[in-house]
Amino acid sequence: MTAIKKFPLAVLALVMTFTVADATAQCRTFTKKRCLPQLEDYVQNDNYNTAVLIPGDEAELELTFFGDRAYRLLVCGHPVLGDLSFQVLDSRGNGIYDSADKESDHFDFRVANTQQMTIRVQVPQTDAVIQHEGCVSIMVGSKG
Amino acid sequence: MKLKHDRFTLSLRLATWMALPMMFFFVGCGETPEAPAASSTTETAMDEEGMMPARRQKAFKKIFHAVPSPIETALLLERSGIRFDAGALHSLDNASGYATTDLQSVNLGIYAGDLSYSVIFNQNQQSVDYLNTCRRLCDGLGVGDIISADLIDRANNNRDIRDSLVDIVTETFYALNGRFRENGMEEVSGLMAAGGWIEGVYLGTRNLNSSTDDLKLRIAEQKMTLENLMGLLRSYTPTAALTDMMTALGPVEAAFAGVTITENAAAATAAEDGTVVISGGPEVNYDEATLTAISESIAAVRNQYAK
Repeated sequence: MTAIKKFPLAVLALVMTFTVADATAQCRTFTKKRCLPQLEDYVQNDNYNTAVLIPGDEAELELTFFGDRAYRLLVCGHPVLGDLSFQVLDSRGNGIYDSADKESDHFDFRVANTQQMTIRVQVPQTDAVIQHEGCVSIMVGSKG
Repeated sequence: MKLKHDRFTLSLRLATWMALPMMFFFVGCGETPEAPAASSTTETAMDEEGMMPARRQKAFKKIFHAVPSPIETALLLERSGIRFDAGALHSLDNASGYATTDLQSVNLGIYAGDLSYSVIFNQNQQSVDYLNTCRRLCDGLGVGDIISADLIDRANNNRDIRDSLVDIVTETFYALNGRFRENGMEEVSGLMAAGGWIEGVYLGTRNLNSSTDDLKLRIAEQKMTLENLMGLLRSYTPTAALTDMMTALGPVEAAFAGVTITENAAAATAAEDGTVVISGGPEVNYDEATLTAISESIAAVRNQYAK
C-alpha cells in the first residue's frame, strides 16, 4: 500500500527531473544551431552560460577580458522572448556599453588592459496571457 | 478507511492525468535530430529549439560564473613569448590511476590545459595523445561519448591545422560543460574548470627567470581570473570535493594577495578603423617575490592533484 501511495509522487518526480534535464538538452541544441555560428571566426570560450528564462528575468555574467585581445560578446535568445537588451559594466559598475539603441545581439570590442567586466542581460516583460520560456545564452569569443 | 482509500484513488488519478500529458509534451521536446520537413510546422520547430510555455511566473536573476578557457590561457601564454616546455606537462601514464570522480574531474581539467597548450604550440602528435587521455577520463566520468572515436579521427586528420584543432577542443569542452549541467554534475564541471585554471598558471610560471615582462604581467593578472574561479566554485552546492579544492587554493590566493590592483574607470572609444576599444580599467602592480610565491603555491596545488 505504501509503495502504491508513493507511485504518483514518484511519477511526478521522474517527470520533473526529466523535464529539467530535457530543457537543458534543448538549450544545448538551440545554442549549437542558432548561437554558435554567430561567433564566426572568434574562438569560443568553453563555459556553458545558458539558462531557460522567462519575461522579466535578468542574467549576469562576470568575466575577465585580457588586454590587447579582440572579443565578440553575443547575447542569443529564443525569438519568443523578444528583443533581449544587455549592458557591459566595468569593475566599478559603470556602464560602458548598452545594446538598447544598437539593434544588434552582439558587441565586438578590443580591450586595452586586462579587466573584469560584467554583462547584464534583461528579458523584456510581456502582456501576453500565456507566457513562454526560452533559452538564453551569453557567449564570448576571442581572437587576435 | 474507505474515505482514505477514495482520497488515495483520487490523488492517484489526478496525478496520473497531470503527469501523462506532461510526459507526452516533454518527450516531444527532447534533443532530437531535426524533424522531417513534411511534418514540422513553425510552432513545432520552435518548440524543439528552446521554447515552451513558462513553468514559473516569478522572474529571477541568473548569475553565471565563468573562467577563461584553457585554450584562451594557452593563447595568452604563446603571445607572451613563452617557450613550449614538454617537461612541464602532466604525464599521460598517470591518467589510468585516478579512481575517484574528484581526481578524474580535476585531472581532466589539468589534461585539458596540457591539450590546449600542445595544440597552440603545434605539438600535433602530443595534442592527439592528450585528447585520447581526456577521452579515457571522460569514460570514467560517464561522458565518454562526447569524445568519440570519430572525434579522435577528426583530430587526427586535422592534426596539422591548428585552427581546426582549436575548434575541436573548444567545441568538445563546451559540450562537456553542457552535459555536466544536464546531468546535474556541476561539481565535476567546477573541478574541471579549477584543474584547467591551475594547469594554465602552472605552465605559465615554470620558467619565470627567463620570462618576458609581458608574461609576468599576464601571470599577475590571473588574480582576476582566480576571483572568477572562486566565484564559480562557491556558486555550487558545497561538497567535500569543492571545499577541498577551495582550501587547496587558499595558499594560491594568499600568494596573489601580493598583486595590487587599482581600480580605475573604463571607457569605450572608437578607434580609427571603427573598432571599439575599451581602455582604462585596473592598474596591476606586482614584484618578483610575489611571482615566485605564485609559482611555488600553484606548483604545490597542481602536484597535490596530479600525482
